[in-house]
Amino acid sequence: MLFNSLDFFIFLPVVFVLYWFIFYKKIQVQNFFILIASYIFYGLWDWRFLFLILASTVVDFFIGQAIYVNDAISKRKAWLWISVIFNIGLLGFFKYYNFFIGSWIDFLSVFGYELKSTWTLQIILPVGISFYTFQTMSYSLDIYYKRLTPTKNFIAFATFVSFFPQLVAGPIERASNLLSQITSKRTFNYIQCTEGLKLILWGLFKKIVIADSIAPIVDDIFLNYNDYSASTLILGVSLFSFQVYGDFSGYSDIAIGTAKLFGIELMSNFKFPTFSRNVAEYWQRWHVSLSTWFRHYVYIPLGGSRVSKLKSVRNIIIIFLVSGFWHGANWTFIVWGAIHAALYIPVFLMGRNRIYMNTVVAENRWFPSLTEISQILLTFILVTFSRVFFRSESITDAFGFLEQIYSNFSYETYQHPLGYRMIDYFILLGLFILYEFRIRRDERAPFKFKSKIVRFVAYTLVILGMLLFFDDNIDRSFIYFQF
Amino acid sequence: MKKLIIKSILYVFLILIVLEGLVRVFHLGKDTPTRFLDKYKVEKWKPNQNGFSVTGNRRQNFSEYHINTTGYNSYREFTPTKDKIEVALVGDSFIEGFHQNYYNSIGKKIENVIPEIEVYEYGYAGYDFADQLHLVHSYASQFDLIDHVILGIKFSNDLTRAEYQVVNSRLALESPMNKMLKKSKLIVYCKSIGILDPPQEFMYRLINIFKPKKKTVSIDEAETLRIKKKNEEKYLANFKSLVSKYGYDKKRFTLLLDSRITSPLFLSYLEKNGFNYIDFSTSFETSDRSTTLIYDRHWNNHGRDIIAKDIIQYLRDTNFVKN
Repeated sequence: MLFNSLDFFIFLPVVFVLYWFIFYKKIQVQNFFILIASYIFYGLWDWRFLFLILASTVVDFFIGQAIYVNDAISKRKAWLWISVIFNIGLLGFFKYYNFFIGSWIDFLSVFGYELKSTWTLQIILPVGISFYTFQTMSYSLDIYYKRLTPTKNFIAFATFVSFFPQLVAGPIERASNLLSQITSKRTFNYIQCTEGLKLILWGLFKKIVIADSIAPIVDDIFLNYNDYSASTLILGVSLFSFQVYGDFSGYSDIAIGTAKLFGIELMSNFKFPTFSRNVAEYWQRWHVSLSTWFRHYVYIPLGGSRVSKLKSVRNIIIIFLVSGFWHGANWTFIVWGAIHAALYIPVFLMGRNRIYMNTVVAENRWFPSLTEISQILLTFILVTFSRVFFRSESITDAFGFLEQIYSNFSYETYQHPLGYRMIDYFILLGLFILYEFRIRRDERAPFKFKSKIVRFVAYTLVILGMLLFFDDNIDRSFIYFQF
Repeated sequence: MKKLIIKSILYVFLILIVLEGLVRVFHLGKDTPTRFLDKYKVEKWKPNQNGFSVTGNRRQNFSEYHINTTGYNSYREFTPTKDKIEVALVGDSFIEGFHQNYYNSIGKKIENVIPEIEVYEYGYAGYDFADQLHLVHSYASQFDLIDHVILGIKFSNDLTRAEYQVVNSRLALESPMNKMLKKSKLIVYCKSIGILDPPQEFMYRLINIFKPKKKTVSIDEAETLRIKKKNEEKYLANFKSLVSKYGYDKKRFTLLLDSRITSPLFLSYLEKNGFNYIDFSTSFETSDRSTTLIYDRHWNNHGRDIIAKDIIQYLRDTNFVKN
């Protein structure tokens, strides 16, 4: 079920009303209801894969307890390894099996061994597998590191794993945040609910108006890159930057907003990455839940930055390569990760990787300084360049795309593939950037205006934008569902 | 909770009102003229209506229409006499031309080149050959005064009926419910861009939830060819039946068609039996620019120019006009 589908707009109010009016008395009943709702939410896509979620839930529920009751480090480690192998095994089979087989066949062919590709399988990638496996693993890891006491309530744990607002594309929550809320009594909070509704509205705007309306242009340019000149290709990849941001941050806003309706606070996933002043700040603002996960469970256990510079650089390379690989079973994502490692390392070596933590651009000012503008532009250009690999179907296509920019370095006027006026999109993006800049201090309050009238105008304009840019003929699924 | 529900309803209500206003101010939704069935059971627009036709979101195509006293979209009134030279264009939405300004129609383009003739455009969305011949037959006294009649025909669409009957599904658009809904420009706009399709499909699914699903039958190539041949024969038989029932003046009447999408069987029948036709396929094929709107399959201004030129050329070739 997609957040931007009619099914969801029927499902959500029904679940909301039942949750607060019928099942509100007992926390256990409320959790069980949310669990059933979550399984229905997921099962409407493909009920067969519910068994995978259930398997991951059962395994980590019992492993969590086994780790906790054992004092011997070797036994604790053994149980942890079972959890990791099981979850990574699920991912490995459903997401990476064909990639490994294909890469192995390609590798052998370099040495003259021709293997038939009969080993590859027709595997459907279960939606959300990369997200919920990481979430369940974090539970076992936190117990292993003694940061968490396991729950004895299976229903609460199953609800933590499959909580429908964030089940299919995050934010990837840690048990210390989400599970503790699930096991606590929740009461209806008017302010929290209105905040949730506002986030849902803003998320829908980002998805429908920004991401979906740009999608046909990006698809056309990346599909036919051989026919276009540099100006169009640069336009295409720049628009993809906005598309992927609108798509994923829009999804995250809807997820966080929906969770608020049920009295649950999820972590922020996007903190206006467009206004990052260097690549390090970008990673503090883009897909925060994944970055946090890797920092906690990969980077810090490897030594983080508290080891020698050389080892720290090694850790950075590892984390970016793994992060790239997490996105998809394709060399394009690994190269994308490698590019980000290459961009991050100089910032790290100069000691500038933490200087923008907890600050925003133009702090206490109306406008950014010229230096800040140049920093933002440079970061945007670098990140956008890496997205050529992120968006291309293959490494060959990515290099072909870049080669075409170099070899056909000229300007041409681009025509929208469906005949729409391009100026509409430029105006739209200009206004979007200005608005995001206006609200840049708080990613969880997109309509923070003192005046009720201004707020009302903002809601109306956002909905008008959806009406103006809605396109019935395009694929409305979310980009990150494929990861 | 009560506060949330009341405030949400209030906000939704106020936002809808403001959006209705904005859609009206920016004229995003199309105006739809009212249709009716006249005394001869000819379906047409109610006379003397004006408005704007809008296609797509953000007014991708915006044009003005004017329904004349006869009930068709045209800048002129249809007053045929023996003293003047008149040409009638009869057809569907392509002739009706709501996607163009009414003062820039195919008929006007022809008149601009040949000022001595008057072109009457009897275009109405959905008119097939049965509608067209029924109209000509019903208003025979008027059409007898018109010197030449050109009937637009699309073989695969316009010959599915062997005789004229009122199309109730089109007239159902004038039901009180639809009339009321059409008063809201916001609903009209939302419907035109497809936002209301999912709720409609959902309602349809809900209503038909207990009905057994139709099995999809796969058809092989031979079967497809057999069905195609059968349809072609049926359409030809319908053509013959309509011509025989309502009459067809081969000297004054000419068909306007695209031979690329017309059955060779039908074309051969027309040639053998002395039915004249204007084939605009070559002109469209050799055009260096697109002849249709991008977001709509109707002819664009260039396409209409080509059609007008082909008709003018035909009228000259047949010595209907001298220069």
